Amino acid sequence: MSKYLDLSLIEINELLKSKKITPTDLVLECFEKIEKNKDLNCFITLDKEGALEKAKSLEDKEIKSLTYGIPIAIKDNIVTKNIKTTAASKMLENFIPIYDADVVKKINDADMIIIGKTNMDEFAMGSSTQTSFFGNTKNPWNKSLVPGGSSGGSAAAVSARLTPIALGSDTGGSIRQPSSFCGIVGLKPTYGRVSRYGLIAFASSLDQIGPMTRNVYENALVLNAICGKSSNDLTSYETNEDFTRLIGKDIEGMKIAIPKFYMSDAIDKEIKDKLNNIIDLLKSKNCTIDYVDIKYIDKAVPLYQIIAMGEASSNLARFDGIRYGYSYENPKDIRDLYFKTRRFGFGNEVKRRIMIGSYLLSGKNATTYYNKAMAIRDDMRNSFLKVYQDYDLIIGPTATTKAYPLGQDLDDAVKAFMDDILTIPVNMAGLPAMSLPIGFSTDHLPIGMQIIAAPFKEAKIYQLASFIEKELNLDLCPKLGGESNE
Amino acid sequence: MSKYIPTIGIEVHVELKTKTKIFSSSKNGYGSMANSLTNVVDLGYPGTLPTLNEEVINTAIKAAHVLNCKIRKKQHFDRKNYFYPDNPKNYQITEARTPIGYDGYVEIEINNEKKKIEIEEIHIEEDTCKSAHRGKVSLLDFNRAGVPLIEIVSKACIETNEEAKLYLEKLRQLLFYSDISDCKMEEGSMRCDANVSLRKNIADPLGTKCEIKNIGSISNVGIAISKEIERQAKLLDQGESFQEQTRRFDDKLNDTILMRVKETGNDYRYFPEPDIPYVIITDERIEKAISSLPMLPDQRKELYLSRGVSEVNATKIIANRNLSDYLNEFLDTNLNFQVATNLLLGDISGYLNRQEKEINQTELTKEKFIELVKKVEENTLTSKNVKDILDEYLETSQTLDELIQKNGISNITDESLLTEVVDKIILENPDSVKDYQAGKERAIKFLMGQIMKETKGSANPKLVNEILISKLNK
Amino acid sequence: MKDALTKEEVLHVAELARIEISEEELQMYQVKLKTLLNQIEEVTKINDHDSDYLIAPWQEDAILRSDTEGEMLNSKDVLMNAPRKSGNYIEVPVVITNE
Repeated sequence: MSKYLDLSLIEINELLKSKKITPTDLVLECFEKIEKNKDLNCFITLDKEGALEKAKSLEDKEIKSLTYGIPIAIKDNIVTKNIKTTAASKMLENFIPIYDADVVKKINDADMIIIGKTNMDEFAMGSSTQTSFFGNTKNPWNKSLVPGGSSGGSAAAVSARLTPIALGSDTGGSIRQPSSFCGIVGLKPTYGRVSRYGLIAFASSLDQIGPMTRNVYENALVLNAICGKSSNDLTSYETNEDFTRLIGKDIEGMKIAIPKFYMSDAIDKEIKDKLNNIIDLLKSKNCTIDYVDIKYIDKAVPLYQIIAMGEASSNLARFDGIRYGYSYENPKDIRDLYFKTRRFGFGNEVKRRIMIGSYLLSGKNATTYYNKAMAIRDDMRNSFLKVYQDYDLIIGPTATTKAYPLGQDLDDAVKAFMDDILTIPVNMAGLPAMSLPIGFSTDHLPIGMQIIAAPFKEAKIYQLASFIEKELNLDLCPKLGGESNE
Repeated sequence: MSKYIPTIGIEVHVELKTKTKIFSSSKNGYGSMANSLTNVVDLGYPGTLPTLNEEVINTAIKAAHVLNCKIRKKQHFDRKNYFYPDNPKNYQITEARTPIGYDGYVEIEINNEKKKIEIEEIHIEEDTCKSAHRGKVSLLDFNRAGVPLIEIVSKACIETNEEAKLYLEKLRQLLFYSDISDCKMEEGSMRCDANVSLRKNIADPLGTKCEIKNIGSISNVGIAISKEIERQAKLLDQGESFQEQTRRFDDKLNDTILMRVKETGNDYRYFPEPDIPYVIITDERIEKAISSLPMLPDQRKELYLSRGVSEVNATKIIANRNLSDYLNEFLDTNLNFQVATNLLLGDISGYLNRQEKEINQTELTKEKFIELVKKVEENTLTSKNVKDILDEYLETSQTLDELIQKNGISNITDESLLTEVVDKIILENPDSVKDYQAGKERAIKFLMGQIMKETKGSANPKLVNEILISKLNK
Repeated sequence: MKDALTKEEVLHVAELARIEISEEELQMYQVKLKTLLNQIEEVTKINDHDSDYLIAPWQEDAILRSDTEGEMLNSKDVLMNAPRKSGNYIEVPVVITNE
C-alpha cells in the first residue's frame, strides 16, 4: 500500500506537480485506509464515486495551490449537495441536501476532494461521539476510549491518517476537545471568520466551522481556503490575509496570559504538568507569563447551557416531518405527526436539550435566564478583550482530562458539560482558539493545550503553535491495530 | 346597544411591494405556480440563514413616515417560536421588541370632524406559507413564505365600525399611494384583524376582548365589528360573562364564528434572532426613503382644490390613483383642472371601465388632453359631442379638429333658430324665469339644460348662453 | 429547593417542544431537568452585569442585501425530500379545520 498520504502537503504537492502521482492515487489510498480501519467508525457516509470523479476532473486542471487534489472529510452536520447529510440523527437518516454549504463550495474551489461525511454526536450535542445514531467512533490511540466530540469522527479520521484534513464544528469545544483527545491540531476560528451557511445550526451565536489537521501549517492553509465573508451569512467577516504568514516567526518576548481558572484543581495533574513544561519553554524565549482573572469564567458552563439549549430548542424546531427528514408514518392528525416524529426522530440527549431549552425560554424564564445569560456573557467577553489590551495570547489546557473509556458518563448530562469548562468560555466570547498536541500521558494518550487569541487574530495563534510544535517535535501517529494485523 | 361603549383596536398586516422576499432573494410574487417562488431559505432547510432585504427596511421607513410614526434607529429581530405547518422554521422572525415605527397616527374625517386614530407600532416580519385545506389533508405552497410584511397595530381608540372602516380606507389609500403595498385585500396583500370589547362607562376598565381574524374586505370589517358588538352586548345584557376568544368572519353567514377560546397567553418563547445582527438605520437612509415618496393623497387634494377643482371631484380623482397620477402630469400647465377632472371622472372613466383599460393604455397624449379640455372649456364641444368622438379620440392618433370635421360636428350656430328655441323654453318655464329674476343663478342651468334637450345637444352652448341671458335680462 | 419538576411543568415543556414522552420519560425528565436547572440557577443570582448586550459575539451592524432576485428552486426540488406530497404541493394532515 502506498504511503503518500503520510507525507506533508508540500511533499504531496511536489509529487503531483511532477506527475509522479495523480489525485486519483490519493483518493484510492484514502479509501484503502478507511476500509482497513472501518472499526474506528469515523464515517457515516462515504462518497468514493464522487471523490474519484472529482479526482479525475482535477487531472486536467492547473495545480494552483497546496490544497489541490487533497482528500478532505466533512463533519456530517455540514450540508453537501447530493451527499447524504445526517447530523448523526435518525431525523436525517436519509436526508439528501439540495444545496452546498458555503464551506463546501470553498473546499471545491480549492480543488480539494471530499471523501465522505464524518461521525459526530447527534446534532453536535455531546462531547464523546457516543450520541450518534450510527454508533460511536473509537479513539485511534486506544480503541476502548472515546475520541471526544462532537467532531469525534473528524478527529479520529485525521489522527488515524485516514485523511490529512477534516472539517469540524465547534459550539462549546467540539473541535478542540476531540483534537486534544486524538492528538491533532484543531482550530475554532473567530465567530464570523467562516460562513455558517450550510452548517446545521445547534446554537447560532456559538457555532463555528473550523479545520482539523495533522499539523499547524496545514491547518492555516485550510483556514485560508474556507474563511471569508459570505453574502449568505450576516455574521461573516471579510478577510484578506494569509494565516501562514507568521508561522516560523520568532516568538521572543511574547506576552501570554493564563486565566487562573485554567489551572484549577478540576484539571488532571498530568495535563497541568505538560502545560507547565510549555510555560517553561516559553519563559526560556523571554515570553511574559502572567496569571489573570476573567470575569464570570467560572460561570461559563451554566451560561452556556442557557444560551446553547435555548437556541437549540428553536433551531431544531424545523425538524417536524413535513418538508424533509424522518416523518412518523400514518399519524392520526397534525399534532400526532409533530409529537411522534420528534419523539422517534431525535435521540435522548437531543430531546433533553430541546426540553430544557424550551423550558428556559418559556413564560417569564426568557428574562430570568436567557436575557440575563446574554448580558453576563457580554461582560465575560469584554473581560477577555481587556486582557488582550496587554497580552498577545491566552493559553491553558484544552480539556480537564485525557480520553476516557467508551460508555462512561454517557447518561450524565451535567458531567458531560464539565468536560467543556475550558473550551466553552471561548465560544461564549466568540474568540479564536486552537487545540495543539503538547505531549502524552503516562499511558501514551495525547494531551492538548489551548491557544486563545483576540477576535480575528488567528495568525498569532499559528505563530505560537508552530513554535511549540517545532520545539516538541512529537510523533503523533497512533499505532493502529488494523495495520499491524495486516 | 347604546348602553355600551365599544373599544376597537385594529391590526393590519400589509405585504410590502419589494422585488424579493425579506430574508431570501426569492421573488416576491403572487399568482405563480405553487412552490415555484422559493429557495432553501424559504423552506427552512437545515443550515440555511436569513439575509435582510434593504428595500424592506426602506419601505418600512416610508410606512412609518406616512403614518406619522417615530422611527427607531437601532433594532433587532426576534424569533417567535410556535409550531404550525405554514411556519417553515417553526419560528417566525419578527420585530417583537423593537418595532421600526411607533407612536403614530392616521387622521380620518367623521361627521365633518377630524379624528386621529393612534398607531401603537409598526413592525417588520415575514409572511407564512399558504395552506389550502382539502378534506383530510392540507396542501402547502411556500411561495408566500418569507414575503415581507409590516404589521400596523392601532391603539384601542376606535369607537365605531364606521371609524374602523374610515381608518382602514385611509390606511389603504396612504400605503397604496406611497408604493408600500398593493393593498389588495382579495389577494391577501392587506389583512385585517379587529379586537372588540365593550364597557358601560368610559371610566370602567376595558371589557373582555374578542379578536376577529382575517377579515377579507373593509366593508366586512364594518359588518364583523357591528355583529360582534351586538353579540357581546346581548351576552352582557343577559349578565353573562364570557372568555377571551378568537373568531373569524364568515362571508356566507355574514357573521363571526368562534375559532378558538384563547389559552392563557401564548408561550412564544421570544428571544433575539442570533442570525441577524443589530440593524442600524442612518439619517441618510431615512431621508432617502422619504424623499422617494410620491405625492400623498392629502397633498394632492390640497393642490387640486387650489387649482379650482371641486371638493367632490378632488376626492373622486384621488380615489383612482392612475387618474390622479395622470392629472399630476399637467401641474405645470395652465389646464383647467375642474374641466379636466369632469372629463376624467365622466366620459373618460366610462370608456376606461368599459374597455377595462388604464388611461396610459390609450392614445390620450398630454397634448391631446389639453386640446380636449380647452375645447370643452370654450364650449366649442358639447358633452354630446364629446361622447360622440371620445372613443375614437382615445383609440387613434387623430387630432380633435380632424375628428370634428370627420364626424360633421357643426353645432347649431344660427342665431334666429336658437332664439326661437330660447323663447319657447322661457315661455314653458315661467317659474324658472321668476327664480332667475329673484337672483337664483341656478335657474339658468336648468333652462340651459332644457334648451340643449330641445336641440338634442346640438346647439352651440356658448351662443345659447349669450341669447338666454340677454332675453332674461330684458 | 425542590429536587423535581412537577408533572405539569414537564408536560407543558413537552407540549412547547412538540415531543411525545412516555410515563417513564416523564418521571426521568422531572428529575433530570431539575438537576440541570439547579446547576443553572446560580446564574440568576448574578446582578452586577451590564444589561446591554450583543445578540451574538459580533460587533458589526447588519449589512443589508440589495433587492435583486436570486436563484430559486424548481418545484421538483422543493418536493424532493418531502415525505408527503400532492401535485406541486407539500401535504400534511389537515390543519385545524376551523381555520
